Amino acid sequence: MSIFEYNGSALVAMVGKNCFAIASDRRLGVQLQTVATDFQRVFKIHDRLYIGLSGLATDAQTMYQKLVFRHKLYQLREERDMKPQTFASLVSALLYEKRFGPFFCQPVIAGLGDNDEPFICTMDCLGAKELAKDFVVSGTASESLYGACESMYKPDMEPEELFETISQALLSSVDRDCLSGWGGYVLLVTPTEVQEKILKGRMD
Amino acid sequence: MLLLVFGLSFLSFFPSLSLSQHFAPTRTKPHHRISVSLNLKQRKQREEKRRMMMKLDTSGLESFSAAVPSAMAAAEDQLFAPPSFDLPAGCADFDKFQMEAKQTLKHAKGTTTLAFIFNQGVIVAADSRASMGGYISSQSVKKIIEINPYMLGTMAGGAADCQFWHRNLGIKCRLHELANKRRISVTGASKLLANILYSYRGMGLSIGTMIAGWDEKGPGLYYVDSEGGRLKGNRFSVGSGSPYAYGVLDNGYRPDMTVEEAHELARRAIYHATFRDGASGGVVSVYHVGPNGWKKLSGDDVSELHYKYYPVQPTPVEHEMVDAPPA
Repeated sequence: MSIFEYNGSALVAMVGKNCFAIASDRRLGVQLQTVATDFQRVFKIHDRLYIGLSGLATDAQTMYQKLVFRHKLYQLREERDMKPQTFASLVSALLYEKRFGPFFCQPVIAGLGDNDEPFICTMDCLGAKELAKDFVVSGTASESLYGACESMYKPDMEPEELFETISQALLSSVDRDCLSGWGGYVLLVTPTEVQEKILKGRMD
Repeated sequence: MLLLVFGLSFLSFFPSLSLSQHFAPTRTKPHHRISVSLNLKQRKQREEKRRMMMKLDTSGLESFSAAVPSAMAAAEDQLFAPPSFDLPAGCADFDKFQMEAKQTLKHAKGTTTLAFIFNQGVIVAADSRASMGGYISSQSVKKIIEINPYMLGTMAGGAADCQFWHRNLGIKCRLHELANKRRISVTGASKLLANILYSYRGMGLSIGTMIAGWDEKGPGLYYVDSEGGRLKGNRFSVGSGSPYAYGVLDNGYRPDMTVEEAHELARRAIYHATFRDGASGGVVSVYHVGPNGWKKLSGDDVSELHYKYYPVQPTPVEHEMVDAPPA
């Protein structure tokens, strides 16, 4: 098994009408053994910007700590929060710094930019940005997730419908992956509120 | 070094052959080739090749062939003689090459199966997930194979291997019944399977099975694997989830359980294994083998079992935003 499949993960972010949702599974494993079923993979950078990190869990945590540090410095200097596009460039640069000894994680970035315009993007472990208008996926279950999202996604969904869609896509994809699942976690962000929900999924 | 060891064992088991090697180059036994006077290097190469291509026990694959007339026996020998070919080029260490080739085909035995004997018979339980690396290929695989109405076999390892050889064992057991006018014992059935698997040892079969049944001596349970091992015992669990299942099984086992208690113990053990092991999941099937044969007790979805054993507790809300009451 490759290093990206050591801990197992599943991440997806979807865009709706002036809102976005980012969802992850909750399993932390050591190859086939499940060690935790409440592992956090989606982190908050500021109220309107979230990052999910799939791949090796230790690199995900370290990446998150580095990013929080850089964002706090930015806040001190610029006296405002980072825009999602700027943050994506920051993540990409940080990953490419380690080009010949990379962090084994694949980030999914989701945020609300100017005029409450939702922004999502994903990257590989070396920082190649992939912007998308509809959905982005990452993790060991990524192939199943691509299929599920492709078939379930509709543009301009309202928050409730977006939540339903992303939950169904996540749960049905992780049910085909040995290394991810054991519950789900969905974060739904609109200009006025943030909803966190924990999904009841298959625990095998 | 390897060659020397083999050479010694060869001499000890087949003394007649080694003698005739020095005298007349005639065939004494139909199935073993005898080298005509060769120099040491050629003889070593021949012995190595012969070791690789031992005559397999193909009786399992020839169940439907009619009695062969003796005239055909010589021709048949030519047909079934193992083919000889040159070793692959640039392959200095053929043993290592063969081991590496096998490793690529080796299935990780991603499953959980268990079986145990208690006062009322044998309980056999298994999950139903088939995985290929990280991908779940199926959640509804039948891993408990019904060999005949009073014997069950479990499947762990390569699905094709297990299915084929268990069905083959069923055929052999039925033939035994017809030939001897009595049912085959669990001991006999497991020995039949173990001998077949031993003859294919080193060829990459991947089978870790338990043969459970009830014969004249009472309940019987044997563990048989593709390395050629065969063990008699009271409690076994096989597969990647077996450590987790053993934990629950060993803790709750008592020989004087009722059938209901044993059923619940087996179900719990498999459930816990599916929770912790990524390669096990799906549906828990539990069978009971009693004096009148086997009976399927239950097939429960593992996820439903989880929420039955650990119901969702409503999380206490620390801060809840409520709309202000209308003035």
